[in-house]
Amino acid sequence: MSTEVERTQETGGESITPQEYGPVYLPDVDIRETADMVEVLADMPGVDKASTDVTVENGVLSISGEAREEAAEGYTAAGREFRLSRYRRDFTISDQIDTNKIKARMADGVLTVSLPKREEVKTRKIKIAS
Amino acid sequence: MWEVTRIKRNPWSIFDELEALQADLNRAMSGESGAGSEAPRVRRRPYPLLNVLSSEQGVVVDAELPGVPAKEIDVSVEGNELTLSGQRPEPETVEGMTYHRRERSMGSFSRTLQLPFRADPNGVKASYRNGVLRVTVPRSAEEQRKRITIEA
Repeated sequence: MSTEVERTQETGGESITPQEYGPVYLPDVDIRETADMVEVLADMPGVDKASTDVTVENGVLSISGEAREEAAEGYTAAGREFRLSRYRRDFTISDQIDTNKIKARMADGVLTVSLPKREEVKTRKIKIAS
Repeated sequence: MWEVTRIKRNPWSIFDELEALQADLNRAMSGESGAGSEAPRVRRRPYPLLNVLSSEQGVVVDAELPGVPAKEIDVSVEGNELTLSGQRPEPETVEGMTYHRRERSMGSFSRTLQLPFRADPNGVKASYRNGVLRVTVPRSAEEQRKRITIEA
């Protein structure tokens, strides 16, 4: 079976420079498929629902989000292993996906995008005309 | 054009690769089968990743733990050690589900951080928001008393 969702290399035409907004990270993702749908799960720690963007345009699913670090008054940085910044990743979606039925939810820094397949693709029984 | 900085989230990944290589070598030398199928998703970099902030009062530790329910995270302080441990649950699967990509790490984790002071375990506070855990660890009262102000 072919992979329904693939990461594209360079898509999107916005002119935002990383210098302005800090680095843009590729979130870690899981992509899984059932007979009815494809699901993308993306780790985007520090991002809330309001700062999450999911768009579908020209067969490309784009997920992005902006993480905000909570301030700690009176404390200074002593060691840093991660940065809360922007995330973005694009995927080419197959024409088997019904783009009108894509749903997304954000919880605990994990974005879940459900991409249902078109009915024609799902249907296996064919009615025989009399 | 959008310029995506394709950098790994962990700046120490090169050391991880070296460590992984070393581990493979050790396995090979000790005669163990190094078949990767046994544990294909062993995380070699420290987990969770931490940011540490400090002040006179103590430290604030932020940990990246997306998708881990707060009740699954165990925060403990003993002496000068802070330990974060728990379990990152696998997402629910349905019959016949196949994976095309599996980059998110799952399973149990534990990480201990040595603090530069003895902590007050009763004053530890933890909160969890949008996949980031924040733990505030105050210095113990004795530690605070030890600090002597030198007058001019």
